[in-house]
Amino acid sequence: MTEKGSPNHHPEIVEAGATMTLDELCLSCRVEAGWILELVEHGAIEAIGRSRSDWQFSHVTIVRVAKAKRLERDLALNMPGVALALELLDEIDELRSRLKAAESRR
Amino acid sequence: MEFKDYYAVLGIDRSATQDEVKRAYRKLARKFHPDVNREQGAEDKFKEVGEAFEVIGDPEKRAAYDQLGENWKPGEDFQPPPNWDAGFEFSGGGPGEGRDYSDFFEQVFAGMRQRQHAPRGGAEFHARGEDHHARIVVDLRDVFQGATRTISLRVPEIDESGHLNIRDRTLNVKIPKGVSEGQTIRLKGQGSPGIGRLPAGDLYLEVSFKPDQLYRVSGRDLYIDLPVAPWEAVLGASVKTPTPAGAVMLKIPPNSFQGRELRIKGRGLPAGEPGDLYAVLKIVLPPADTDKAKKAYEDMARDLAFDPRAKFGA
Repeated sequence: MTEKGSPNHHPEIVEAGATMTLDELCLSCRVEAGWILELVEHGAIEAIGRSRSDWQFSHVTIVRVAKAKRLERDLALNMPGVALALELLDEIDELRSRLKAAESRR
Repeated sequence: MEFKDYYAVLGIDRSATQDEVKRAYRKLARKFHPDVNREQGAEDKFKEVGEAFEVIGDPEKRAAYDQLGENWKPGEDFQPPPNWDAGFEFSGGGPGEGRDYSDFFEQVFAGMRQRQHAPRGGAEFHARGEDHHARIVVDLRDVFQGATRTISLRVPEIDESGHLNIRDRTLNVKIPKGVSEGQTIRLKGQGSPGIGRLPAGDLYLEVSFKPDQLYRVSGRDLYIDLPVAPWEAVLGASVKTPTPAGAVMLKIPPNSFQGRELRIKGRGLPAGEPGDLYAVLKIVLPPADTDKAKKAYEDMARDLAFDPRAKFGA
């Protein structure tokens, strides 16, 4: 179904600088706070702040948590597995962009 | 509707044990998971594999499918016989919510799905709508001009009677000028509708760039191959170079060499601090296809004491 005559949407760029609270992150990704805590404990995502009560998360964390949730659900991974997968995917992204840059210079 | 050969999708034999089915599925799921595999078509393949496993991985559905599938070949036009599933007991556990299945699956196995219930009446219930995530591939040119692009999303929805429907949803999205690869953009209120008084969720789109014919992207910087004649490289020249914001005259310093990168400041991706454009010199040799051209090369060979292999010694 095409929404004919639908308005143009003006999205905003999600900046790494903007932050959100634990509650907001849980709400956005539909996950429990305990699950976020586990992600933080496994170093899969970074929390800013000393104690849980004043934790803040960079806005780009949303994408990462959503990805973690998909990996856990679709591939039946446990938390260390999710953390490892995210880390390896980061590394692949990094290597890909270095490869791209190296190809540019060839 | 076409018959789907779920065994072929999983790459297994019809006689495979449940353990073998599981192994094949897990391997393919890891391989084609859209977060792991960025190739085009990976997501469709992942869904296909998931659908096949829903059926073949479940002994009850597998038995029904086997009986059904005996005389069918993949791709053949297919209508399930009436009451084909009589005599099979399905212990619930229908397809997961929010997934999208082939027509074949919908027609054959939809009946086995548990009905999903809307929130019951009584106490008022409020919840903010869920945020959605998707990926968007944009043209480099759109990033410069901030063009409006139409994107299509497939949204699973539960209707009033509890059926799962896939709705194709088209959105006009203005690509924010200067978005870079891997960044995420947010469309407020374009996720799931909220329940009660609370607002709808947001739609998050992860941006990646379509490969461009002219420019390569590295962070905020762009690279372009700039073909030059040998004399332009050696003697220096001023040549017209395309940039996404319009052509510029680029000065090539004398004694330039193959692969030299010349920076054109601020002509990369737009941003608060825009990237740069690098012109990478590619020296192109003129063909010796006329007597005159041949003579020019012969003159050079005679007049220049040039040994390109001097470094080899001997």
